Amino acid sequence: MRRVLLSLLALALGATGAAAQSMRPFSTYRQWHGETRLDARLEYAAGALRLAAGRPSELYRMDVLYDGERYAPVSAFDAARGGVALGLRASGEGGLRVVSRSQLRQTASVTFSPRSDLALAVTLGAVDGDLELGGLRLTDLKLEAGASRATVRFSQPNAARCRAATLTAGAAELSVLGLGNSRCDRITFEGGVGRVTLDFGGAWTSSAQVAVRMALGEVALRLPRGVGVRITLDKFLASFEPKGMVRRGTSYLSPGYDQATRHLDIDVTTAIGGVTVDWLE
Amino acid sequence: MRALSRLLRAVVLLSILAPSAAFADALSDPAGSRTVQLVHGFWSLVADAATRPGDGDDLQAPHPAPQAIPPGAQDEPAVSLDDLSQPTAIESRLRDALRRRDGGVRVTVTNGAARMGDFSIGSNETMPGQLLVVQGTADIYGKLLGNLVTVDGDVVIHAGGVVSGDILTLGGEVRDEGGEIGGEVRTFRTSSVLATPLPVQGAEPPTAVETVFRRMAGVVGVFLTLGALGFGLVMFGRPNLEVVSDTVSHSFGRAFAAGLLGQLLLLPTFGMLVVGLILSVVGIVLLPFAVVVYALLVIVGAVGGYLAVAHSMGETYTRRRLALGAMIGSPNSYRYLLVGLGALAAFWGAWSVFGWVPVAGDLIRGAAILVTWLLATAGFGAALLSRAGIRENFAGRLLPPEALTDEYLWATPQYGVTAARRPGSRTPTRGL
Repeated sequence: MRRVLLSLLALALGATGAAAQSMRPFSTYRQWHGETRLDARLEYAAGALRLAAGRPSELYRMDVLYDGERYAPVSAFDAARGGVALGLRASGEGGLRVVSRSQLRQTASVTFSPRSDLALAVTLGAVDGDLELGGLRLTDLKLEAGASRATVRFSQPNAARCRAATLTAGAAELSVLGLGNSRCDRITFEGGVGRVTLDFGGAWTSSAQVAVRMALGEVALRLPRGVGVRITLDKFLASFEPKGMVRRGTSYLSPGYDQATRHLDIDVTTAIGGVTVDWLE
Repeated sequence: MRALSRLLRAVVLLSILAPSAAFADALSDPAGSRTVQLVHGFWSLVADAATRPGDGDDLQAPHPAPQAIPPGAQDEPAVSLDDLSQPTAIESRLRDALRRRDGGVRVTVTNGAARMGDFSIGSNETMPGQLLVVQGTADIYGKLLGNLVTVDGDVVIHAGGVVSGDILTLGGEVRDEGGEIGGEVRTFRTSSVLATPLPVQGAEPPTAVETVFRRMAGVVGVFLTLGALGFGLVMFGRPNLEVVSDTVSHSFGRAFAAGLLGQLLLLPTFGMLVVGLILSVVGIVLLPFAVVVYALLVIVGAVGGYLAVAHSMGETYTRRRLALGAMIGSPNSYRYLLVGLGALAAFWGAWSVFGWVPVAGDLIRGAAILVTWLLATAGFGAALLSRAGIRENFAGRLLPPEALTDEYLWATPQYGVTAARRPGSRTPTRGL
């Protein structure tokens, strides 16, 4: 009986090894030829993603290590529109396979030129993402995160004025850090389930309107001291801690709101969960 | 056996926990910095390995003598390199086109040329059209007015060199030494274009012998998997398996009816579960987990039930042999399961051997499907009736062992012991 058991175990281990998938490296880039604007669309289904500013001599670059049996790389530049589509799309037969989790890890590194204005639309599936948008010339941002854990940073001030940033999350954990550096006039967040951290730190150069809609989950707001902050809350079964704020009508205001030269008006709508406020020093 | 069981449990636990722990570590970092470091480190490793001098040459086959690739026959489709935005599609097309026919490679490139071996465009040269270079390095000193594709070869754009279109390397890399590339650069460092040709469409169908071997391999694989699952079930859940198995043996009809009903109610139950969770609002969070758990329960019920049927068949057969006086070394659940699965595999084994026979093959396959469905339904029903082996109501175990007191045994005639007739009493006769 032992022999039989050991044989079966050996067979199972052997089969697992044979099922190893083929990870394939792929790179794409385009030289910068004086383009003033780029409309970039990035769709990334699964794996780890890093996005940042790249070399000035390259309009964009994507280095990806992907599962060649399940995905195909997307890299299409439309010169007439000044747009590029990057990422990985599902392909092949896929199907169920027993492989270890580490084998399913795909990695991608995407960079954009800091010379061109960038309108960026990112769609993430099951992704562990780190998006460093500081140092780019971002004019528009759309981010859709499915079941992802993503961190969006503006470590440096945006080199261009951003019209709007629209962030949408399904069942995700999303942190957006340094929104003061984003220079976005309007920031919108819509979340289904999960946890979102909106850090409004950074160098504020103008006022901004922020709308936060969260169905079920926790919203953490980190607010700067030097900007007049007003929070208008519409909640159903949610808690709210207006730490250090003064209530005026249906809104909560930071001390010295009326005297502040720049204002941050935040509308929060949430059903179930909690909204917390922390002050950045 | 105990030591072996412990060893196996430890191996299973380790194999489950080790990857989970690693993944948990990776995700527990709130800032994601560790993940980014990992990605950076990994990508640097890949890039370093790829850009190390000589590595690319090591991966590629020795370059053949430079020559033009003759165009393919008229009935063979030409390869268009006008649009390189879908590199995997181009790779697939080239894999088919570059298959060696009659000892040589022939390919027709639409609006362009194809070259074998190293190829260069001189600094005072201008070449219009698309260019395909196979097993060679493309050195661009002059101008290429089109797209450039290399298979198992690098592209070097020297200072002053121009490629007006896109570049795609399949098994190579692009080195930009100060040239100008008008389009997009796409690089696959590895490619199997020349290594593993795809099977030709419309190829010869497999012979009967090949078919038999393929099917036998499939049947053996499936039943080996079932055997491994069954052994795990015996090892970790023998009491439950035995109760389900006894339920099949003692209440086959009832188990089949329950299984049939269960199959019919699977989808409505699932729908009610989903709707109920959605209506409860809070349950929406649990919906993904509930769906997964429900699917797993159904699979476990069906596979476990099927294994219980195999166990039941093996037990019945083994006990009959024992009753006939046969000497059997270890009549235990492992043997029952093996014997039962062997019997069940016999149906599919017959199909794998005789499946190619016209009419008879289809009949055998139909019979195998029918028998498998019948037994799986009965097993599923038995799993439902016995609540996955927890309830013994239908397992023929009417009295628990502790109920067999001395008083019960004294008052109850035992099977196999002939009762002695009381002296002077007569058997009453009907009608008297």
